[in-house]
Amino acid sequence: MNLNTILLLGSIIVPAVGSLLFFGGFPKEDSSIKKLSYFVFGFPFIASILLFLNFDPTQEYCFEILYSRMGLQELGITFHLGLNGVSSPLFAMAGIIGFAAGISAIHSGAERLRLYLALLSIMLSGLMGLFASVDLFFYYLFHEFALIPTFIMVGLWGGRDRRGIALEMTIYLTLGALISLSGLVALNVMIDAPKFDFPHLSDALTQVSLSDRSAYNIFGLLLFGFGILVALFPFHTWATRGYDAAPTSVSMLHAGVLKKFGLYGLIQIAVPLLPQAAECWSPWIMWLALGNILIVGFVAMAQTSFKAMISYGSVMHMGYCFLGIGVCSTIGVGSAVMLMCAHGLSVALMFLLASYVRRRTNTFEMEEMGGLAAKTPLLACFCLAATLATIGLPGFGNFWGEFGVFLSLGENKEHFTFLILAALGIIISAVFGLRAMAKIFFGSESQEFQKSTTYSSVSDLCKSEILPATSILVPLFLIGIWPLTISHRIDLEIGQRYAEFQSQSSSFKPSCCPDSEESTEEGNTLLP
Amino acid sequence: MINLALSLLFLPFVSALVILLFLRAKGNLASLVSVFTAAGILILSLLLLFNSQESSLVWNTTWFTMGSWELRFGILLDDPARLLLFIVSFVGLLIHIFSLGYMESDPARPRYFGGLSIFMFSMIGITLADNLIMIFVFWELVGFSSYLLIAHYFQTDEASQASRKAFIVNRVGDFGFLIGIVLTYWTFGTVNLGELADLADFSPSLITTGLCLALACGFIGKSAQFPLHVWLPDAMAGPTPVSALIHAATMVAAGVYLLIRIDFLFTEQALGLIAFLGAAMGLYAGFCALVQRDIKKILAYSTLSQLGYMAAAFGLGAPGLALFHLTTHAFFKALMFLGSGSVIHACHHEQDIFKYGGLRKRMPVTAGTFLIGVLAISGVNFLSGYYSKDAILLWAYNFNLPIFTLLYAGALLTAAYMFRLYFIAFEGEARSEHSQSAKENSLSMTLPLVLLAFLSVLGGYVILYPFNIGSYFAPDLSATALLPHHMWMVVLGTSAWIIGLVVARKLYAQVNQEDPLSQRLPGFFEICQSKLFFDQIYSFYVNKIQDPFCRFMEVMELLFISGLMVRGSAGVTALLAMLAKACYIGRVHVYALWFMLGTLGFIIYSSGIFE
Repeated sequence: MNLNTILLLGSIIVPAVGSLLFFGGFPKEDSSIKKLSYFVFGFPFIASILLFLNFDPTQEYCFEILYSRMGLQELGITFHLGLNGVSSPLFAMAGIIGFAAGISAIHSGAERLRLYLALLSIMLSGLMGLFASVDLFFYYLFHEFALIPTFIMVGLWGGRDRRGIALEMTIYLTLGALISLSGLVALNVMIDAPKFDFPHLSDALTQVSLSDRSAYNIFGLLLFGFGILVALFPFHTWATRGYDAAPTSVSMLHAGVLKKFGLYGLIQIAVPLLPQAAECWSPWIMWLALGNILIVGFVAMAQTSFKAMISYGSVMHMGYCFLGIGVCSTIGVGSAVMLMCAHGLSVALMFLLASYVRRRTNTFEMEEMGGLAAKTPLLACFCLAATLATIGLPGFGNFWGEFGVFLSLGENKEHFTFLILAALGIIISAVFGLRAMAKIFFGSESQEFQKSTTYSSVSDLCKSEILPATSILVPLFLIGIWPLTISHRIDLEIGQRYAEFQSQSSSFKPSCCPDSEESTEEGNTLLP
Repeated sequence: MINLALSLLFLPFVSALVILLFLRAKGNLASLVSVFTAAGILILSLLLLFNSQESSLVWNTTWFTMGSWELRFGILLDDPARLLLFIVSFVGLLIHIFSLGYMESDPARPRYFGGLSIFMFSMIGITLADNLIMIFVFWELVGFSSYLLIAHYFQTDEASQASRKAFIVNRVGDFGFLIGIVLTYWTFGTVNLGELADLADFSPSLITTGLCLALACGFIGKSAQFPLHVWLPDAMAGPTPVSALIHAATMVAAGVYLLIRIDFLFTEQALGLIAFLGAAMGLYAGFCALVQRDIKKILAYSTLSQLGYMAAAFGLGAPGLALFHLTTHAFFKALMFLGSGSVIHACHHEQDIFKYGGLRKRMPVTAGTFLIGVLAISGVNFLSGYYSKDAILLWAYNFNLPIFTLLYAGALLTAAYMFRLYFIAFEGEARSEHSQSAKENSLSMTLPLVLLAFLSVLGGYVILYPFNIGSYFAPDLSATALLPHHMWMVVLGTSAWIIGLVVARKLYAQVNQEDPLSQRLPGFFEICQSKLFFDQIYSFYVNKIQDPFCRFMEVMELLFISGLMVRGSAGVTALLAMLAKACYIGRVHVYALWFMLGTLGFIIYSSGIFE
């Protein structure tokens, strides 16, 4: 056990122990609750950043922890933690967003703060564990750890119509999780791997060949199970309604981090293990992803509430990740990972800032705001930065992800239609992002806004608000101006996993594959 | 040498960061930091220009890798880059100095000067970038700084809308540019400009019209050419020095610069199209400028028309002439914009030229320098515009007569609307209180005017340009000098500005608050005023098609996905539950019935009827 592994384990255990303490009624005073929660949310933050910096991309898994005598070894389940090139940036992202969400929760003034913080720390513990798990059982278990508090928190602290939405989210997401679990179990049973973790599964797959039909079906299960969890069109309605109603910290953690669970599963498990099946499903993935980008994008343009717009926007940008995965090339998938990190940070920042705006205007309706930049220049500055990051301005990480996805679409002439339609998204997101900026911060104050602020003065951001926003914005900016910091390790990991796959799939066309020619025919003729 | 180039690039970036982080509330300090940065940029770029021995400076390092795609952050300082670097740093410094006076009493100076620094950073980035993706990165960043600076007076609805419009219309252009870059990468396997040039030479069959037109979309958006020109006149909502720097001298010219950097990728058809669009723009914008009342809008349309000249020159195969016109245009248009800024500042932000009048006596320096600008842009003999514009006209005359006709008509209009502006604003009697009380501005505002006026006079003499700066356009200019019909062109060119002057004199020497053209030629006036309804068409699209479509999609989503699919499946479940519940209503005789049915079923099954 060296320092790094202690940090890795600590970033999961500290929030878990913290939440046990909160549940156990310790500490008593409010001030010490806050102090303790600073530690609980701060430790994973610092640990994840240190681990990010100490990461060695040449190893398969860094900071490995393996404990096999869990009592489940009969089933091939071991407690196996570690970080690879894909999970390391996502782990850091989880730590950063967890910290920001935690700080904003401490200062949110929510009722029953103790319970709120306790649930949030369980969620954080689950999120940190999720990206650190090598074993699939724990990967799934940690996901449930993070998911279940979400339902309770939406139900207790949510906005309008919270009970109904909490119920809908619970059923919908549990369904998605179960479908993906059945896919994972089916995979394990079919190939009879000695252990239920990533490396062993891929080893086993090289020896046992899966029939095309079963590979196709398992991939389908994984795709739609994970798809529901990532809000793939048309399974996205839980997300837009849920984020709109959820309390800020939950929206941040869920939209920013937890939603990446499904994509992470597709990228680490489904596509590299079942490449031919991925190839067959690829047109499905891409057409549905276009649904995310275009249809959800248009719906986002019609929103009048700021938070609803952010929710739809976040679902829309998931489409680019799916497109990258659908291309099944190193550039596409690697850029999708890049976008996952950047998107997580930018969406969490947007939700955070939306709560700041709400604190000042007492509403999310954009028509009832206006001219806020004159009173709160710093908030406007943060909000502009976050909006521009969301719409993919160079200088923020999102640009590299989106651009990489576009570039990967150009490789194959069949994908030309997707390239054009997906690139329309850069205009759509600019339209709704800048419209929101103009309505909230520019122009003159609306009458409603003047009325609602007659008795209270509107002040700019205070220190406890600047800290979480900065802690998200700075990394977003850093990967934007020097993308090599994370692209290098993603590239090594994805390149290794997908290089072999590319050579296989190009020459091979399985018989089970449904004929997908008609969907991509136009691409050929359009290309000059 | 490379350290010099890199520090030149990152100096304004650091300045913007410093202003953002530490000087948000310190206007004076922020403006000084920004101005000294601009001065530093000029010094560094002069050092760079005059110290570089090799013909072009090339350097790069890995910026981003993903699979087979490796993007390098690189610098390519070749002939056109040297020239643009000089223009950007020189005009940039003068405009920074002018801003000191113009923005004197503005409380939001830190934001303004921070924005200028970001702009300088991204513009230098475009100038030095060695590959298309890097150009695209800085391309978007200049768009962002333009957005930020147009939105400077964000409390007004005009600025709020104009900034958004500028960004989104540019995004539409960038959409094509982006697709062009992706296609270029997969066609040639690289986006590096040097490698692309070699490959294009080596295998010209790879070049296609679709590819280069997609790349030219970037130019159409940024240089505000047809049909994406609508954002530029609105962008005048920003502070006037910004209009001078970004929306006249440098950023909008970056589109032309992009074309020049990738000129080897263009096919005949694409060049023809660009030349035609440019020439048509030169004429169209001239008509629009003729009926505007807002001094900045006149200049904005004039910028559109001059950009059209550059595009036409490029399209006719004379990129050197395009860049030469870009240079002289940067001088005289910056001069006139700053002159208009000086007037606007003196007249308490009144922008209607019919409310000026008689400013020559009250603001002699501004009026004198402005007149030089007007003469230069109209192509008066031996001033800078004469050489650059008439070179383009002569080239067009020899190679493409229809385009020449359009451009020549544009030249007539240019002289007419520029003299119109001058006569109405500076001559005659004052027509409002503001212009009556106008006074000449301080030195920080007049000094840049005088310097730019000098350049507007002398900028046409190629011989005055040091070799390091003027080496790109020199060959094309010498080729133009050898073309036939030279004298004939001098006569035509001279008569163009004289006709414009005479017409303007006759129409506008004595005006009151009304535009005389609206009485003499009301039909023509109306057509020009309508600007061919582009804005109406676009706003019709946004308000009547796009917005209802979005709302329709929202309803459809609610109805089909949220409603039918999600709620529907919940409803089906609930229905089944209700049916099941109906069996348990809590009455003994019903349970007895179920019991009887069950027993009956069991007996029938066990009796073996089904086997």
